[in-house]
Amino acid sequence: MDLFLQYVANGVVTGSTYVLVAVGLTLIFGILGVVNFAHGEFYMIGGYVGILAITVLKLPVFAAIAVVLLAAAVIGLLAEAILHKPLKSHDATNSIISSFGLAVALQNAALVVMGPQPQRLNLDVSKIPILASIPTDFGPVFLPQQRTLIPLTMVILIGVLYVILKYTWTGRSLRAMAQHPTVARLCGVRIQSVAVVTFMVGAGLAGIAGMLMSSIFFVYPVVGNMIALKAFTVVILGGMGNVAGAAVAGLLLGITESLTSAYLANGMRDIVGFVIVILMLLFRPQGLFGKVAERS
Amino acid sequence: MKPYLTGLGIALALAFAPFFLGGYETNVLMMMLFFIILAVGLDLVAGYCGQFSFATGAFYGLGAYTAAILNRDMGSPIWLNLPAGALVAGLFGLLLGIPALRLKGHFLAIVTIAFQTIVYLTISQWTSFTGGQVGLSLANPAPLNLGFVTIEMGSLRSYYWLTLAVSVICLLVAWRLAHSRIGSEWIAIRDDETLAAAVGIDTTRGKLSAFVASAALAGVAGVLTAHALRGVTPDDYTIWISATVVAMMVLGGRGTFIGPILGAVFLVLVPELLGKFAEYKMLIYGVLLVLAITLMPEGVIGRLRKRAAR
Repeated sequence: MDLFLQYVANGVVTGSTYVLVAVGLTLIFGILGVVNFAHGEFYMIGGYVGILAITVLKLPVFAAIAVVLLAAAVIGLLAEAILHKPLKSHDATNSIISSFGLAVALQNAALVVMGPQPQRLNLDVSKIPILASIPTDFGPVFLPQQRTLIPLTMVILIGVLYVILKYTWTGRSLRAMAQHPTVARLCGVRIQSVAVVTFMVGAGLAGIAGMLMSSIFFVYPVVGNMIALKAFTVVILGGMGNVAGAAVAGLLLGITESLTSAYLANGMRDIVGFVIVILMLLFRPQGLFGKVAERS
Repeated sequence: MKPYLTGLGIALALAFAPFFLGGYETNVLMMMLFFIILAVGLDLVAGYCGQFSFATGAFYGLGAYTAAILNRDMGSPIWLNLPAGALVAGLFGLLLGIPALRLKGHFLAIVTIAFQTIVYLTISQWTSFTGGQVGLSLANPAPLNLGFVTIEMGSLRSYYWLTLAVSVICLLVAWRLAHSRIGSEWIAIRDDETLAAAVGIDTTRGKLSAFVASAALAGVAGVLTAHALRGVTPDDYTIWISATVVAMMVLGGRGTFIGPILGAVFLVLVPELLGKFAEYKMLIYGVLLVLAITLMPEGVIGRLRKRAAR
């Protein structure tokens, strides 16, 4: 039983990463209708920028987080200019191909700049004043601080995002765009700035996830591939465009994977999510929490 | 008759090419032929039928692994492996086509990517059956005894001619399919599925046949590649291959038949011409893909035809 709880806790940690990546993806899809296959690259860039900021620039952790956010926002801006702005009038397959191209380009740019060898962020969290106070033992479950940090950050960021979406004008215009772009425009929502904000927020969340994970798992140029695919799984499970659904589905996927690798076979770990997603799309394409009706 | 004559002329020219070229150039030509089959195959399902698939690499790999595993377990020659590879890949194409019946656009794209990933993870991790990350090696092809003459199949030239002959057959089949009634049905499904169904086209059959045809062609290319390289490794059949083939098709022009062929020729030649910059190959592919879709979403041939029509 104790071991089971430990597996669940490990699943929650990886699941939180999926949530951070998937929420941005689902926002970009729900609000702009862009299927962004380059989303995993935001994660990859976040990881690399975090490593560079801390090991090369010797910045303190919180400054490094700011640098990661800034870099991710710039990449998000760039991605919007490539994937959304010039393609508005064309059909959705174009954004699929285009983002696929962007993903390939960014991965290989990373390969050229950073090299193929996996890198890791060596960060001793216990030396950082605020973070050191995070407990490491939760009953029978043991989690090092840099692992606990991930679900913690996820809850805070998603909470903030939820409040922004619900109660601010920016959030209202984002939701208005998601419901009906034309009517939103008639009501004075600036489509261009909404698009840029959406991409920046999505990239920022994924970038932070990448940085946090870089102290646990290795970062390498194609690390985003698997993460993006998992995030798509989560987005489909939660229902395309559904933020709360993505949050629940992300944690569920993380836990499922952790339990699969513990009790079935480690090799099955990455496959299980894709099998679920194919079955899901066949039998319940609106997602676990989606409504049956789809907007045209 | 004109397209057939042009095709025949090019095929004849290619048949004589090894007499004037060295081993390296012949290998490049052969690689080009593999990718032409892949790009034309993808064009059938994505260009003509409008069902976007990012799983070309998976079908390519399924064909290659079918050849390698049959060769390992039964010592079967390439003559048997070619139809076997096409059959196995085609069956998996049917399997992938079933979700495609209910899904459109991005959902379909995600399922094909998931399928590609499942195939890759399976062939790279099922070590006892597929050799895992190391892959498998294939035996040298046995000489072909025709009674009056024995042809040494192991040499580069004879293998090149075999590849050329199989490619010509594949392209002929694809051309006939695309320009037959079934091809017109694919186009109808692509342009307006509801309308196609309303005028009595069996859209289920149409979509499934496009998936199977595309997958079978990729399977043939896989068998040819496995025998050419005398081995298979999972990393030759990743999503990068799918990306490359998509780039070839989009750049040349979706649903134009000749476009993907030119795209394949161009994108195989570019890295060879880049020389020491070849490590930037995928970077360039990615940028080309983005530029092509932004500036010229209908591709080079599509743009030319549009201009000619005007």
